[in-house]
Amino acid sequence: MTAEVEASDAQADEIPPAPKGFLRRFVFSIDHKVIGRQFLFLGLGFLAIGGVMAMLIRWQLARPGAPVPLVGKLLFGPAGGVISPAAYTALFTMHGTIMIFFAVTPVLIGGFGNFLLPLMLGARDMAFPRLNMASFWTMFAATAVLTASFFVPLGPPEAGWTAYATLSTAIGAPGPGQTLWVVAIYLNGASSVMGAVNYITTVLRMRAPGMTYLRMPLTVWGFFLTSILNALFVPVLAAAMVLLFFDRVLGTQFFIAGTTPGAGGDPILYQHLFWLFGHPEVYILILPAWGIVGDLLAFFARKPVFGYRVTVGSLIGVVVLSTVVYGHHMFTTGMSPLLGESFMLLTMIISVPTSLLVLSWLGTLWRGAIRTATPMLFCLGMVFTFGVGGLTGLYLADITADMYLHDTYFVVGHFHLIMASALLMSLFAAVYFWFPKMFGRMMNEGLGKLHFWLTFVPLNLVFMGQLVIGYEGMQRRLYDPSVYDFLKPLLPLNRGISHAAYLLGAAQFIFVLNFFWSLAAGARAATNPWEVGTLEWTVASPPPHHNFDRIPIVVRGPHELSHPAARLLGRDWLGQAEVIEPAPAPSEPAGPAPAPGEPA
Amino acid sequence: MHIVLPRDASLDGHLVDGAIGYLTLTTGIAFAAALGFLLAALIFHRARAGRTRGHHTHGIRSRDRALMFTVALVMFVAIDVTLALRTSRDLETRFWRYPDADPTALRVEVTARQWAWTFRTAGPDGRFGTADDVVTLNELDIPVGRPVYLKLRSRDVVHSLYLPNFRTKIDAIPGMTTRLWFQATETGRFEIACAQFCGVSHYKMGGLLIARPEPDYREWLARAETDSRLRYDQATATGAWDWETGK
Repeated sequence: MTAEVEASDAQADEIPPAPKGFLRRFVFSIDHKVIGRQFLFLGLGFLAIGGVMAMLIRWQLARPGAPVPLVGKLLFGPAGGVISPAAYTALFTMHGTIMIFFAVTPVLIGGFGNFLLPLMLGARDMAFPRLNMASFWTMFAATAVLTASFFVPLGPPEAGWTAYATLSTAIGAPGPGQTLWVVAIYLNGASSVMGAVNYITTVLRMRAPGMTYLRMPLTVWGFFLTSILNALFVPVLAAAMVLLFFDRVLGTQFFIAGTTPGAGGDPILYQHLFWLFGHPEVYILILPAWGIVGDLLAFFARKPVFGYRVTVGSLIGVVVLSTVVYGHHMFTTGMSPLLGESFMLLTMIISVPTSLLVLSWLGTLWRGAIRTATPMLFCLGMVFTFGVGGLTGLYLADITADMYLHDTYFVVGHFHLIMASALLMSLFAAVYFWFPKMFGRMMNEGLGKLHFWLTFVPLNLVFMGQLVIGYEGMQRRLYDPSVYDFLKPLLPLNRGISHAAYLLGAAQFIFVLNFFWSLAAGARAATNPWEVGTLEWTVASPPPHHNFDRIPIVVRGPHELSHPAARLLGRDWLGQAEVIEPAPAPSEPAGPAPAPGEPA
Repeated sequence: MHIVLPRDASLDGHLVDGAIGYLTLTTGIAFAAALGFLLAALIFHRARAGRTRGHHTHGIRSRDRALMFTVALVMFVAIDVTLALRTSRDLETRFWRYPDADPTALRVEVTARQWAWTFRTAGPDGRFGTADDVVTLNELDIPVGRPVYLKLRSRDVVHSLYLPNFRTKIDAIPGMTTRLWFQATETGRFEIACAQFCGVSHYKMGGLLIARPEPDYREWLARAETDSRLRYDQATATGAWDWETGK
């Protein structure tokens, strides 16, 4: 212990001076808090763009071929304000690409990961601050290339966000737009890998004294495991992009088949590479969300996480399993029976750690003293949508059911319940929860709660509606479903989904208003407004440049809420680095003493 | 609102519907139980005056852990394992047992391209690429009561032959031959669709499957063969590949 104290004193002496000058402070900053905010704003901006695209897609499905009101003439002028099949194709391609790679990834991993990791671990910055800056600017370059792809001859990328070969090769997409898409995804991946290496090293090497792995907040676990998956599997995507680039630009034939079977390249190789990355990607995005929700449920239920070790074990189990299940995306490619059945079984096994996770959440809530502040509402909403989204995944893991449901709107509904609903819910929970720490002001509770209800209800209507139309047989990515007689009766339902989607879109203005109004004029945030014990709440809001005046020495886990010993202090929580004065021999115990072996 | 699957006109479609129904029932029960528990916690364990502290437990007593693992395992066995066994049986006895040895099976070569389907049936000589082949565009004619055995190729990008009324689909992939079999139990006209996004006019890549009673089908086939012979052109035969080597 003494050695640790000395180490901490030594660190206290090397507080780096805060940079001066506008560029160093706000643009090319190496401060993880500034980079985190940069990622946050970049991602939120693209979230808005991707959201507008979703609204246009829903307009076309509600009223196929009708001119788009308000913005139609501006966006689709040559077509008289009507979304053409080519424009529709570009819209859903870019909606998927932007939402996954340029909205959720930067906000959640780049934004919150950056801002929170050093603060939660008790460090002054990331392990590699300059690499961190490079990660952001590489992402920025990726967004520039992606934006450029809208304005090239032959139009924007039109091969879907999955860009299956051979549609994404010169055979199906001859224009430069698709090539720019490939470059943008490659750069985006490079940014993710830089971040991942940095996050992993930070967790391994920069934890404050006493911050053992099993004392880390679940949020940190989420980002840590996500980074491991990113470091392992984003390079696979990068490999696919390099080969696709060669096929497009240099005339190679990695993914282009010859005229006879067995000769030339193999389009299925692309699918293997893409989903070998693509399925872990789902977990790359959901793991931080699970971590955040795990922590916040405990914070607002005023209880420790129920089964912390089981939760961490489940997260690790999901990470391991996520690497061997990707084949369920390819059941209809005629894969070998042995492979198909193995992938089916492996996919189903993931439901074990996932249900343990949900049980831990429910156990945490039970016998708590639940405070329903805005972040908590979004967490509870996340639990609900994740339940529906997770369970509908089983339909697609089952080969028999997948023969019918594959490539229908059932798939779209399922992954939007996870990727859009559960992720968006936890993303909003994170914004409402850490906004005070990031910007030093509280967000408005009333507007927050209104935003929650106007998001939660339409969101579920939209994506559960998609499950229904998929169940009734409608394929994804159809410009005009009424081409098929069997889909004609679904038009009223499609229209209903679209109306719910418009409401969902409109409700986000409440968030934008709340965000910017609070930024300018919200109530000043105290150091620890939510009364919780993790380390980021021991420093000022917003934290000073060097985070901690003295590196804290951690003595207990992150969720010591309603702790009996805290009663003497007149509150119900204990900080992770809080040393309690030895109480004068208590005549009567203040509450049941923690059982031996509990993480103190 | 009436939520229904498209009409099932196939011999084995009920197995697909059965799997979907089983999943809806079991996951519905699991979800309802979890949601009930969540709502109960929200109703009974909300913070209020006189109740500001939660029960301090880390949930690490052996009883807590046993409970969590039991619930997770019971769910896994009741839903996943049961379903996987059932699916595995159906795949091996029905869906993946291709009628290679069945002389009554109708064999069809399917060629997919942006954005149309070509169906080629061997004529009475049973060989593909000869003058009596019957080739149809975006129309698949089949008899009721006999297995239909399709082998598919694509000439440009990945497509997917989707038969909603037969509860099945299979991709058509450049450089590969994929296969699918099904059997109609009802006569009628059913829609064929492309399920895999294949470019700008993907949404128009539909077709018609016409299932006729055996005598009507034979009559149609005789007529179509006569037409084919009359119009036979060596150049059109190049669209075929050899069924036997095209595995």
